[in-house]
Amino acid sequence: MANLSVEICGVKFKNPVIAASGTYGFGREFNEVYDISQIGGISTKGMTLEPRVGNPVPRIAEGDSVILNAVGLQNPGVESFIEKDLGYLKSKGVVIIANVAGKTLEDYGKICARLNGLVDFVELNISCPNVKAGGMAFGIKPESIKEVTRVSKNSLTKTPLMVKLSPNVESISVNAKAAEECGADCVSLINTLTGMVIDLERRKPVIANNTGGVSGAGIRPIALRMVYEAAHAVKIPVIGMGGIASGEDAISFMMAGAKAVQVGTANFTNANAMPEIISQMNAWLDGHNIASVNEIVDTLTLNG
Amino acid sequence: MKDLLATVKQNVEIAENIYKMTLTLPESAGELLGGQFVNLSTGESAQLLRRPLGICLADGKDISVCYQLKGKGTKSLAEAKAGDRLKILLPLGNGFNLKNAKNIAVIGGGVGIFPLIYTMRKNSDKNFYMYFGFRNKHAVCLLNEIPKCKELTVVTDDGSYGGKGNALDAFLQSAPQVDLIIACGPPVMLKALKSALAEKKIDTPCLVSLEERMGCGIGACLVCTCKKTDGGNARVCKDGPVFDINEVNL
Repeated sequence: MANLSVEICGVKFKNPVIAASGTYGFGREFNEVYDISQIGGISTKGMTLEPRVGNPVPRIAEGDSVILNAVGLQNPGVESFIEKDLGYLKSKGVVIIANVAGKTLEDYGKICARLNGLVDFVELNISCPNVKAGGMAFGIKPESIKEVTRVSKNSLTKTPLMVKLSPNVESISVNAKAAEECGADCVSLINTLTGMVIDLERRKPVIANNTGGVSGAGIRPIALRMVYEAAHAVKIPVIGMGGIASGEDAISFMMAGAKAVQVGTANFTNANAMPEIISQMNAWLDGHNIASVNEIVDTLTLNG
Repeated sequence: MKDLLATVKQNVEIAENIYKMTLTLPESAGELLGGQFVNLSTGESAQLLRRPLGICLADGKDISVCYQLKGKGTKSLAEAKAGDRLKILLPLGNGFNLKNAKNIAVIGGGVGIFPLIYTMRKNSDKNFYMYFGFRNKHAVCLLNEIPKCKELTVVTDDGSYGGKGNALDAFLQSAPQVDLIIACGPPVMLKALKSALAEKKIDTPCLVSLEERMGCGIGACLVCTCKKTDGGNARVCKDGPVFDINEVNL
């Protein structure tokens, strides 16, 4: 048994496998499939100050090796999370990453202040492609990433700040550096790529929102390249995600420089994906006589 | 709730573009209620989403689901052969709770009949008044699996099998004395049912099973939302798929 524990920004994870925001709710439903205390952490459903009803349906579509979603940040609001879900997640002993979104800079400041000291990390969702105001608008340009990071960091005196980066940008390295420069304690990437699937008979997009965020195995090589670039642009820890569905996928992201990974779409394909990924990582490390998962981080060497 | 690797026992076309797949589970999945569903992998690795399919028949470790050939996913399912292994997550959703109802009207349209058949088989102590509608005679299927009913009316849109008409009209015409109505079928049918009950001031409790494109199937991802009449959202997969007809906007 290899040692899978990792430490990021002073927070200890029993393993580097974290549920990605929006695919795992607040953990209760997956706990009916397996004991969720096995996983490293949970990035919660994206939360806003007030409850949101989200987008019309259909909210999901499928392409080859990918899915598209446009849920539109349906969530019960941060107060409901604090009252009803936070205690439950604490009782499970997983690292709690509160994923938050806002329409304005002020929203980000307020929601971070509310969660300051209550959770293990706050993850800024500045890259949601599915809401009209805010969301991705903050995550595209380095200038706005700096602003929203600064405002959020000011409110987070006790809790480390994770900034989730959008792939729908000019330069992931520049944006990762922008977050680092303005106080991000770590960055996570990639959020979904914006895409479309068409129903030929109706001559309309399948998703009611027309476009949706593309995720799943098909985006993995893009995500891996971006994680590599970001990890080599900043000194703060990088958490990698994008199509991870197996232990070997997770290992590859860590080799590229990620200190931990998030798993999203694979939870839909296989309800037991996360426990399986953890045991596959273990097996891979054992098979390569590697004592600790930390030893593989950033060990990739490029072809000459 | 269990995620199991099931073995395909049989997969046959039982009507035009309608398939019935029987899978053998490696272990019991516990009690399966009428109206509950399973999330079945298509067996094609490029299809990342499982397909939510209502339980149609269950006998020990054998479970049958039926599906209409529609897109790439159901095409993959139709290609599955006996002996193939598919992942199946079950049981999902709430199912029909018939409570103390004794006399029950069952209204089914098209592929909506499958969960209703299982619901009737699971509750053989009740009296069922059944109204099933199909597109045409080529779409008629599984009538041999329907348990004994007080009334059994089958209609088709074009009159090529049974009477001409739809399931809802057949129910309204017959107007059986029942203490519960259960229904599953296309959204247009459920919508018409809701209007008809309101128009005719029929206050018999009515449960409907809804369908929506799903992600996780267990209530975590909030993809398969429906609108509740109180203004909120419900998750079709977890809070449903069966709802009181007055509880949801159709």
